[in-house]
Amino acid sequence: MSTRRTQGRWLMAIAGAALVLAAPAVADDPLVYATIQPAQITLGESAKFTITNLGDGTAPITMPVVSGLQFEIVARTRQIEIINGTTLPSSSIVVRVTPQMAGIFTIPGVTPKSQPLVLQVNSLPGSAGAPRPSGPRAPNPPPILAGGAIPKGVHLTDDGSAYVRLSVPKREVYVGESIPVDIEIGMRSGFVSSLNGLPKLTGDNFTLNNLSHQPERNERMIEGQPFVLLTWRSVLSVVKPGTFPLSAAVPLTVKIRTRSRRESALDDQFGDPFWQNLFGASVSKDINVESPPLELKVLELPAEGRPADFHGAIGTFAIESDISPVKAEVGDPVTLRMRVVGSGNFDRVDSTMLDHVEQWKTYPPKSAFNSNDPIGHKGEKVFEQPLVASKPGVQTLPALTFSYFDPHAKRYETARSPPLSVTISPSLADSTQMAPALAARAASGAVDKLAEGLKPDHAASQSGMSSLIPPYLQPRFLALPSLLALAFAGGWVGTRRRRNPAERVAARNRVAWRATKRALAQMEAAARTGNPALFFNSARAAMQQSLAARWQLAPDEVTTAEVQARLSEDEDIQQVFALADESKYSGRDLNSTDFARWMRAVRQRLMAEHTR
Amino acid sequence: MKNAARFAALALNLPLLWAAAHAEPAQPESPQIEPAQVGYSAAGLYNLANAYARQGKAGMAVLNYERASLLSPNDPDIDANLSYVRASSHLPVSSRTTFNRLVRVASPFALSWIGVMGVVIVGVCALAAQLSSRHRRMRRLSVLVGICMIGITVANGIALWPVLHEGVVISPATPVRVSPVPMGDSQFVLPEADTVKITAEHEGFWLIQTRAGRAGWVSRSNVAAVVPRK
Repeated sequence: MSTRRTQGRWLMAIAGAALVLAAPAVADDPLVYATIQPAQITLGESAKFTITNLGDGTAPITMPVVSGLQFEIVARTRQIEIINGTTLPSSSIVVRVTPQMAGIFTIPGVTPKSQPLVLQVNSLPGSAGAPRPSGPRAPNPPPILAGGAIPKGVHLTDDGSAYVRLSVPKREVYVGESIPVDIEIGMRSGFVSSLNGLPKLTGDNFTLNNLSHQPERNERMIEGQPFVLLTWRSVLSVVKPGTFPLSAAVPLTVKIRTRSRRESALDDQFGDPFWQNLFGASVSKDINVESPPLELKVLELPAEGRPADFHGAIGTFAIESDISPVKAEVGDPVTLRMRVVGSGNFDRVDSTMLDHVEQWKTYPPKSAFNSNDPIGHKGEKVFEQPLVASKPGVQTLPALTFSYFDPHAKRYETARSPPLSVTISPSLADSTQMAPALAARAASGAVDKLAEGLKPDHAASQSGMSSLIPPYLQPRFLALPSLLALAFAGGWVGTRRRRNPAERVAARNRVAWRATKRALAQMEAAARTGNPALFFNSARAAMQQSLAARWQLAPDEVTTAEVQARLSEDEDIQQVFALADESKYSGRDLNSTDFARWMRAVRQRLMAEHTR
Repeated sequence: MKNAARFAALALNLPLLWAAAHAEPAQPESPQIEPAQVGYSAAGLYNLANAYARQGKAGMAVLNYERASLLSPNDPDIDANLSYVRASSHLPVSSRTTFNRLVRVASPFALSWIGVMGVVIVGVCALAAQLSSRHRRMRRLSVLVGICMIGITVANGIALWPVLHEGVVISPATPVRVSPVPMGDSQFVLPEADTVKITAEHEGFWLIQTRAGRAGWVSRSNVAAVVPRK
């Protein structure tokens, strides 16, 4: 029986190789990647280094050479998979890695494009410098393709072709909490022809976030049959409280036998379903494989003891803070950082940091998340807040706090960071207090090349001005000329009011006489040019000035009618006023004799008025 | 006439005489700035600017030369060093206009007192004209002198007004941002020691305008006003 099974496997391998050769190329560039498990071992143990080539196998693979590590090829496998209807040949090389010394080793990529891997090898317990573990020694790495019995949580389909296992670390969770889950699909080689979609959760109460793009691939013997295991990692969250069943489902296409084993002589001969597929003894069928349902109890977050700055973060967190630079000038921005490190729902990790701090101008913080795992469950979220100091001195920023709900302790926690000190110096722009130190440094010989062409220093005086604003623009100084101007104006008005009436009359006469003289000059000029209109107008103006001073009137009020009423006997003056009006419209001409006569007459009247 | 000329000369020289009477004796052997220095003096600012220039801090040097030039506008050493540092920083060196040279004949401090004296002269002459009609020509001349004194003070203010709203870039490669926040996008970069016009202020930032007319916001720690503001 055993010989017959071995022969069947050989035939299967040959047929598989033929199919590989016959299958069309599905991709231009083969994908080669390597994994190592576990990534941390103790000296004396081995790790499993798997190089997988998802392609036609023509990509050059270089076996890594690392000093202190011994590489030993233990298995080579080649298979064909059909995923979403696409033929995907793949081959794997399983290498046992045995360290010869403790340390951290970097295994270079197997192709120029692949990433290096890190293997940490701890010292043997009890050796110098090695921590002594309190528990039992770590188990050896699992043997390649080891196992035979059905693992816990695995429920094969009726035909034994596949299974889906959903691994949830706990059964009691809180609303909004992120729970890392593993969805493992086991596909029996030769039975499953294609994977028709990504795994999904059943039910509407759960959401699956950050499902890994590339599943981890392993192989395992279950009940003596080879299974290909694909494991997706993701984060599960629940939207409402209650008790809900939870399972994962994956759509597959499997080969179903159309006749019983007894009816197939070939099966009896080789005992392998591959032969049934090869000779048309099976048909394809789409099935939906589900994991055994789990019951998840979802709790509401307690309202009691909820901190005011709680934003919905659930998990285990710690915070660190720092500020840079620790020395700055007034007005310079400094950056306050808060790192929230741990595991949990980082999408709900939020903080306003410092809202208002005395003598500081605060700005809204920005945040960035750095994940330590592919599903974003572990990592650190960094908040950066710009701050600007408004006053110099040693400033102490208050402690930062971050509140979250710890699902293990089942209570709210508040992480605190220590207060931070920053030395703020006065801004160079606003202060001359840097002068002594600077002058001392300059005198000590630290001379820049800029100084070569400078004129020498001046003798400094002790006296200085309190402000560079010109005094005439300073309100306090401006008060002085303003008060002086007001005082002089007041004095001028007061003096003017206190003058006696005789002085006022004399002053008025002086003004009138000056106006009269100006009018006489105009008359002479008009006589020279032979302009009677200007002549008589000037004569009338001169007479108005003179008579207004005598009659205590305004010059405009001395009209022809006023003159006729008051000076009815003086015909010359009346005629001057009449001729002034007439000459404006009539264009009367005068000869030089007339000009001289009228000039004499007006002058005599004016002199008589002035000496009156 | 002779009395009026004497009076005007006395009025013009009064602030200078006052300053001379209160000046400390020169200390040429110890040009360093005393630690107890309070306030601004032309010599102190000039020496400070020299110290900054020796340190290679062109921005602070230009700033303090500008400030020293405010207090002592006709000091050739200040002008020479200011031009030298600007030229060394590959910045344009601007010369004063004729109007600027005329109205900055004395320091703003002296011109302030000259303006006050002008007010006094005009006021006294106006009062004298009310009290007596004698010495009319002398009074007119005095009024003219007083008005000139007030005028030169006003003209000095007009000439200094742009300088009072200028700032000097004191940090190398100062970013000019589109908005008055530290995270604001940078439009362009100002070289150290460049002079800009400050047009507005908002929460630790200044809205500036360059000589080329480009505008943006800079942190107050990067640009210092020639005349410090409270």
